[in-house]
Amino acid sequence: MSVTISVPDDDLVPPEIVSTVFYSATVSDSLAILVAESVGGEQRLTWCNEGAVKLLGYGLDDVRSLALDHLFPSLGGGELKLLLRRERAARMTVPIRTASGAGIEAVVLTTPSPGGRMWTLRILATANEQEKALRATADAHERRFSALTERSPVPTLLSEQGMRLAHVNDAFCTLVGLRAEQLLGTGWINTIHEDDLDGVIEQVAAALDGDEVETQARLVRDDGSVRTTVIRFSHLFTPGVGAGFVGTIEDITDRLAYEAKLAHQANHDPLTGLPNRTLLAQYVAGRFRPGAGGLACLFLDLDNFKVVNDSLGHTAGDELLVEVATRLRATVRPGDLVARFGGDEFVVVCENVDEDAVVALAGRVSEALARPMRLGGVDIRPYASVGVTVQTAEHVAADELIRDCDIAMYQAKAGGKGRITVLDQQARAEARDKLRLIAELRDAIERRDITLTYQPIFNSVDGHPVAVESLARWTHPERGPISPATFVPLAEESGLIAGLGLLVLDETCRQLAEWDHLLGAASPPRANVNVSALQLDDNLPGQVAAALERHQLDASRISVEITESALMKDPTSARDVLQQLRDLGIELAIDDFGTGYSSLAYLRHLPVDCLKVDRSFVAEMAQGHPEIASAVIALAATLNLCTVAEGVETLEQAEELTRLGATYLQGFCLAEPMTGGHAAAWFAAHGEESR
Amino acid sequence: MTVVPLPSWADPASTAPVFDIEHVLASIDTMAAQRPVAAQIVSVANSDDTSARALSRILASDVALASRVMKLANSAYFGMRGRVTSLQFAVTVVGFTTVRTMATVALTNLDDESRLPENFWDVTTSLALAASTLAPKFGERPQDSLCLGLLAQMGAALLHHNDPDGYEEILAEQPTFRGRRAAEMRRYGINSLRLTAVALEQWGFPASLTTPLKEIDDYRAMDGALLRAAFEVAARLTTEDYEEVPISRITCGKLVEDDLVPVMDQVRADADELRRAMLGESNEPDGSDDWVV
Repeated sequence: MSVTISVPDDDLVPPEIVSTVFYSATVSDSLAILVAESVGGEQRLTWCNEGAVKLLGYGLDDVRSLALDHLFPSLGGGELKLLLRRERAARMTVPIRTASGAGIEAVVLTTPSPGGRMWTLRILATANEQEKALRATADAHERRFSALTERSPVPTLLSEQGMRLAHVNDAFCTLVGLRAEQLLGTGWINTIHEDDLDGVIEQVAAALDGDEVETQARLVRDDGSVRTTVIRFSHLFTPGVGAGFVGTIEDITDRLAYEAKLAHQANHDPLTGLPNRTLLAQYVAGRFRPGAGGLACLFLDLDNFKVVNDSLGHTAGDELLVEVATRLRATVRPGDLVARFGGDEFVVVCENVDEDAVVALAGRVSEALARPMRLGGVDIRPYASVGVTVQTAEHVAADELIRDCDIAMYQAKAGGKGRITVLDQQARAEARDKLRLIAELRDAIERRDITLTYQPIFNSVDGHPVAVESLARWTHPERGPISPATFVPLAEESGLIAGLGLLVLDETCRQLAEWDHLLGAASPPRANVNVSALQLDDNLPGQVAAALERHQLDASRISVEITESALMKDPTSARDVLQQLRDLGIELAIDDFGTGYSSLAYLRHLPVDCLKVDRSFVAEMAQGHPEIASAVIALAATLNLCTVAEGVETLEQAEELTRLGATYLQGFCLAEPMTGGHAAAWFAAHGEESR
Repeated sequence: MTVVPLPSWADPASTAPVFDIEHVLASIDTMAAQRPVAAQIVSVANSDDTSARALSRILASDVALASRVMKLANSAYFGMRGRVTSLQFAVTVVGFTTVRTMATVALTNLDDESRLPENFWDVTTSLALAASTLAPKFGERPQDSLCLGLLAQMGAALLHHNDPDGYEEILAEQPTFRGRRAAEMRRYGINSLRLTAVALEQWGFPASLTTPLKEIDDYRAMDGALLRAAFEVAARLTTEDYEEVPISRITCGKLVEDDLVPVMDQVRADADELRRAMLGESNEPDGSDDWVV
């Protein structure tokens, strides 16, 4: 059969036959097929199809006389054997010489016949037009892509495998100050800060696995400077090759620096550069472990700072604060925090200390501060009152620690200046109790749970009731009645006095209007209202006028009682306020007269109508000492003022006071304080009686 | 009938092989039968629809080969610092071509140093790393060039394996790679790089990998320039008293001597680890890192 093919009778052998003979290969004229035969140690071509004639340009006759190595000029020596294998098919990409002498690149597939002396050769030209076009398009794409990234201002990395880079753009080179050759492959890894490298590799691993990820990493420039960046990685897959990534880098160094600056400004005092209250709170909160202990705070308040500010000026005051900050920083242990709490207050926070150690530190601090410094030409010693708190099991929140040392500082201050006080359990309990009571008082005022009682005041001559004094009462739901001597000072300390004062004023007026409605002429002619020293400001006359207006009362129905000490705090402005009240037509009385240290000369100039003789002087009368009561009453008479004797407990006292010349009397033995309703009944009955 | 003159170099009498190349080629088939997993990887890794998952699944059945891929993925060359813990991820990191190259190395027993010419892996790792490092300058993918370098000497190994004495003689007489190729041509009718190309073509490796092997000695063509440069670097690093060839002459002016300095450093730095990963050797604390000075 091989003879038939090698020496064919006809020029053409049907392709179907060739196909049958050579292992059922599908053959058509579009394929270039040749048959080669080994004759006498030399391989020659014996046949080819139309496809081969078209591709190579040789006629069929030319092919039959052609030596095989002429067709494959690059296969010299024994290499032809590589193509024509006896036992197996072979495949090779080789140039083929065509009839014109030009070479074409082609893949040659050879299949030996069973005898091992003949081969079919199939030729596939590789460089056809379509492929060329495809390759050109792909090349253009790649060029476009690389041009895009190369000129992009965004630093960009292109991985080839793993962490190895195939491409970096100019922007990245500029960012790290190195040339592309130094960065390709694994070179760029050296630019990543050692501490950030693990994180970057982790993200690269995620990106290679198909994720879109980003990480913050520092890059170390060629000159050693460090840039902080965000690197975003995207997965890149090349079919048949594997996975890589595209990385884009954003340099956030400047942004972070700006943010850090803002954060610093938000958390530090611009004058001393110390952490401020906000940072202090964060710092303590960050280290506070309930029940753990070991944390301690010092609260320092400069003594007489106001004096420095007022006498030497604010610049000197600032200078002092800066010096104090410097001394504090120099004195505390490394790792302790010094913060400016506000004004002339500083806080030091220490970790891992016991009470002895922190008290010792407070001592060192006080000593350091007390060293003399020259300020505005004057030598001063900045003493401080220091409150100390060490964390205990009772501290459940971080802010309690600072609050406690604040309390301790106030205790220190109260005990005399320049002292150190450690907050003890009782003081803490008291302080907390007070805080709770203040909150409850605030609620009570808001809900108008503060009630008023009214105690009648009598004319000493005819025994008729001429007025009532409004007395505020607070009945605590758990603690029961709380004395005004407790809650009024509390209201004054905690800024609740204005609300309390308004409540008393308004309720008194309302009650008067109600009595008028119920009793008509038998209604109490006047009500006395107590006003705190803190209420004694320009707002008071307006508030009184508004209350009277609201309840349609005449100004003569109200008398305002003010303590002597309140008047002495700022006598000039007190007098102005009193004058305004007086101008409204309101009577004024000085409460507790004789207990303060008012100048009698000054008293003469105050626009008051009445003095109240303090209950302590009335009580002394029972012990055989009527001297002071007598003197006060006489003084009032001399100044043309009327008097009210408070705290009259017995009829004997009433008689004695009447004898001494007291204008009015007020006390338990005459009438007890009553609620508004009881008072209405009392006055109604009294009106009947007197008629 | 027109008699077309034969090419002048084709003189069967003078170049008659003293050695049957057919036998060498047949031995490649035998090898494949002995390492079926490696052979399967070689055959599938090149197709476009290969996935890391499919490849790692096959790879898992050859523990020795799989561990080498893992080791390579975690080597300094890929910069992953031990982060590669799964075989599939290792395949992704090193790339399919590299996995295929490693399978080919296993298939052709290139990992058995006792059957290789002396100095074989020193040269091969230098060649591979030099090709990979220089690749961007020639517009080639470094990864493909690494594989080209790793496989280039396969032909030499085959010739040595089949004709140990004869090949040792060539090695002893010819200090340069070029000289060896000429000697191989005289003795076997084919040079070792050409033989590598034939085997790789037979296994379906792409033309981009085989063309440089064929064009190595055509100094006018850019196709073989990268491989020539890589051989020059390898020779400078591994051959004693080597007489350097100007790099610009063998790279069509693409490289100048200054380009080689960082490349030589890089190759020195990575060579040992790449060699260990390819051969599946463990890291030894005996300071074998300074095998080149």
